[in-house]
Amino acid sequence: MGSVTSSRGAALFGARDAVGAAGVAMAATFLAFGAAVREAGLPPGWALVACWAIYGMPGQLVLVQAASTGFVGGIAPAVMGAIAVNARFLPMAIAITPLFGVAERKRLIPAIPFIAVTPWAAAMRAFPKIAAGARLAWFLGFGLTSWVVAGLAALAGFYVAGMLDDHARAALLFVNPLYYALLLAADLDKPAPRRAILCGAAAAGLVFILPSSMGLLAAGIIGGTAAFLWGRARGGR
Amino acid sequence: MAALLPFYGGGRVEAADLALALTALACLLLRSAGVWLAGGLGADHPIIAWATAIAQATLAAFVMLAIIAPSGALADVPLAARLCGLGVGVAVCLAFGRNLLPALVVGLVAMLALRALLA
Repeated sequence: MGSVTSSRGAALFGARDAVGAAGVAMAATFLAFGAAVREAGLPPGWALVACWAIYGMPGQLVLVQAASTGFVGGIAPAVMGAIAVNARFLPMAIAITPLFGVAERKRLIPAIPFIAVTPWAAAMRAFPKIAAGARLAWFLGFGLTSWVVAGLAALAGFYVAGMLDDHARAALLFVNPLYYALLLAADLDKPAPRRAILCGAAAAGLVFILPSSMGLLAAGIIGGTAAFLWGRARGGR
Repeated sequence: MAALLPFYGGGRVEAADLALALTALACLLLRSAGVWLAGGLGADHPIIAWATAIAQATLAAFVMLAIIAPSGALADVPLAARLCGLGVGVAVCLAFGRNLLPALVVGLVAMLALRALLA
């Protein structure tokens, strides 16, 4: 069923995928992040380490916003907020692990830092075209390339921060949700993702009644659980 | 080492460094825990289906909020322009074989065009 079978070919295929729409979306978002880091008074090295070590934009932004206020509420609330908005890494890691078709968990260690929204969503789309034995190579090719794109874009954003007005920054910030929306839209013809998308969108309103750092996580858990139960009620279709 | 200090900021950003280190460690643990928990489960196991639904629902909620109620510079873009960009992008994606890059570019251009018209 997979059309890409060799590991080398899959890694190159992954790298190529990472510089397409995913690369454009990631570069735009991380450019805006780099500019925000500079405005918060943090150095470029911090922007680079945040991109590569956290690799989850909502959590990165929580820290930058806290830093811009001088951590007036302390470090702990900022860290807890950043972890809460990036808690989706846990279900994403659970969901993608069996798809690698790797029996030994040790072999997945190099892939762990790359489990984030963009590689995860791209993998869910690409994996059906890749033989199980070559999926880890695809993921590493995609993940490494998108890491490099993210880091370079953040540094570029740091150094061109003064040239970006609010209009330019708004355009950059729009690219990321639009890209994710397109990834989700491409899955609308499949019953299980369609249910999850509808329930997640419907549950998004929870953000307005819960603390902001917990709202997205709660929307995902409640919306996803509702979609899962809906699917079970329909016989898992 | 001293040459790197301007790039990394020296001791000026200790609180931000600590916050970054703790968050990065927690994110690594979350990812590792997911891989460890899923080890041995098949792709069609109900727990995997549940986790996949949660991940997709979280992404859908994130997109919904980023378009309907964004913060920061994007909040200054009229809602109509944001919805127009989203609608046009999705329509192009579905109409042209789910090709993401052209849909991304056309959606962005549509948002910018309507924002300019409404300004």
